[in-house]
Amino acid sequence: MAKKWGQFVRGWMTKNMELPQDVMMDLPRITMIGQIHIYIENHRGLLAFSDKELRLLLKQGQLLIRGKAFVIKTILPEEILLEGKIDSVTYITDTD
Amino acid sequence: MKNQWIEFYRGLVTVKASGKGIERFINALTRSGINIWNVKNHGTQSVTFKMKLEDAKKIRSHARNSDCRIEFLRRTGAPFLMKRLLKNSGFAAGALAFVVVILLLSNMVWGIEIKGANPATEYQIIKELDKMGVKKGKMQFFVDNVESIQRTLSNNIEAITWVGVELKGTTYHLQVVEKNEPEKPEYLSPRHLVAKKKAVIVEMFVEEGRPVVEIHDHVQPGQLLVSGIIGKEGQTETVPSKGEVFGETWYKSEVILPLKSTFKVFSGNEKVKHSITIGNLEIPVWGFGKPGFEEYELEENKKVVKFLKWELPVSYVNKTFREREQVTRIYSNKEALDAAKDLARKKIKSSLDENAKVKGEKVLHQSIDNGKVTIAIHFQIIENIAEGQPIIQGDSE
Repeated sequence: MAKKWGQFVRGWMTKNMELPQDVMMDLPRITMIGQIHIYIENHRGLLAFSDKELRLLLKQGQLLIRGKAFVIKTILPEEILLEGKIDSVTYITDTD
Repeated sequence: MKNQWIEFYRGLVTVKASGKGIERFINALTRSGINIWNVKNHGTQSVTFKMKLEDAKKIRSHARNSDCRIEFLRRTGAPFLMKRLLKNSGFAAGALAFVVVILLLSNMVWGIEIKGANPATEYQIIKELDKMGVKKGKMQFFVDNVESIQRTLSNNIEAITWVGVELKGTTYHLQVVEKNEPEKPEYLSPRHLVAKKKAVIVEMFVEEGRPVVEIHDHVQPGQLLVSGIIGKEGQTETVPSKGEVFGETWYKSEVILPLKSTFKVFSGNEKVKHSITIGNLEIPVWGFGKPGFEEYELEENKKVVKFLKWELPVSYVNKTFREREQVTRIYSNKEALDAAKDLARKKIKSSLDENAKVKGEKVLHQSIDNGKVTIAIHFQIIENIAEGQPIIQGDSE
């Protein structure tokens, strides 16, 4: 109950106080440059990595990136820069 | 992204991690603040990435806690480059040593060539050069310059009139002109001996020919002294007459000498400065400060450093400052007369043959006025007055 209440407050604040959502709600901020670069902030760690697939843990759910010839150019605790040919970016959310 | 050049200077390593749970391992690394980049997947269960050299030690404890096996693949960057450079420093040292050796050898004296001297003089010249330090294998920096070699040689060796010294590359070329050229055998044609100048015969040594004058005879220039035609009348024979006829001759010499004269002399004080010039830049090596003389003469000795056949813009300069002094000489009247006589004698002697003798001298006239001594001296000289005159065949009959 308390968790739901906290989320409600945050949603209300961002809507009414014009604060950026990624800061307030711990959402990932994803920047893509064409198909070749993807820059993800606010992730929570690496789950799986191969040259065709990258799975990242988020605050809520996971992010699945598919493509070819993946190389992690930089990885920091909350940021990741991926290079390669990106085909798809999918959010996987648990049904709640 | 980060500028990887900075990482390059501090060194970086390529790591291969393999096993299960690579992702967890990478998460653990990033969370503990280890920077990794260029993560690449190589087949199943193996990944390569790059990291800083200074983080390489920390990685081991993380690897132990996970199921991954790590392997260091490649070391790049300045620290490893330095290490390799140090290992291969022999090559660099060799290259440097090579250049240094070539440089040294290019500035050595490798040959001394003497032309125009007979073996005896050549030996003398070589000995004299040895004394000066001009030898095979000597560094050219420590050898006198060409002009002074030339001067010393022509001063110290009697047998040479002139010597030209030239430095071509590493070889000194000496062109020698000897005073007495190797004597040519004389093939005299029949001749008379005649008088060179007006004289009174004092002595005669006739080796060949028939003397026609006697001692105490007064002869005129061109007068026959020794005839080359010998034998009785009708059976004459012409010979190259040979001999010496000494006659008393007369010379008059006039000398004007100022009583007071100023000239410059070296005081003997000198200061030497050594420096190296590169292009127009002069770097003093030894001898600093001003010469400290009011008047001086500067002798500059420049030795260009050579490399093989090229001259480098680097040279060694040796400057000598010699102090100069002005000296005023004032003669008293008597001193002036003596000096003038001396001068007159010297003047006469230099114009005469070596075997001429001064028999007597007589001061004709002397005066001192306007601060000058004027003196005229009459000299009686005994010298060889014989001179060859070829007999032309048609004349003798």
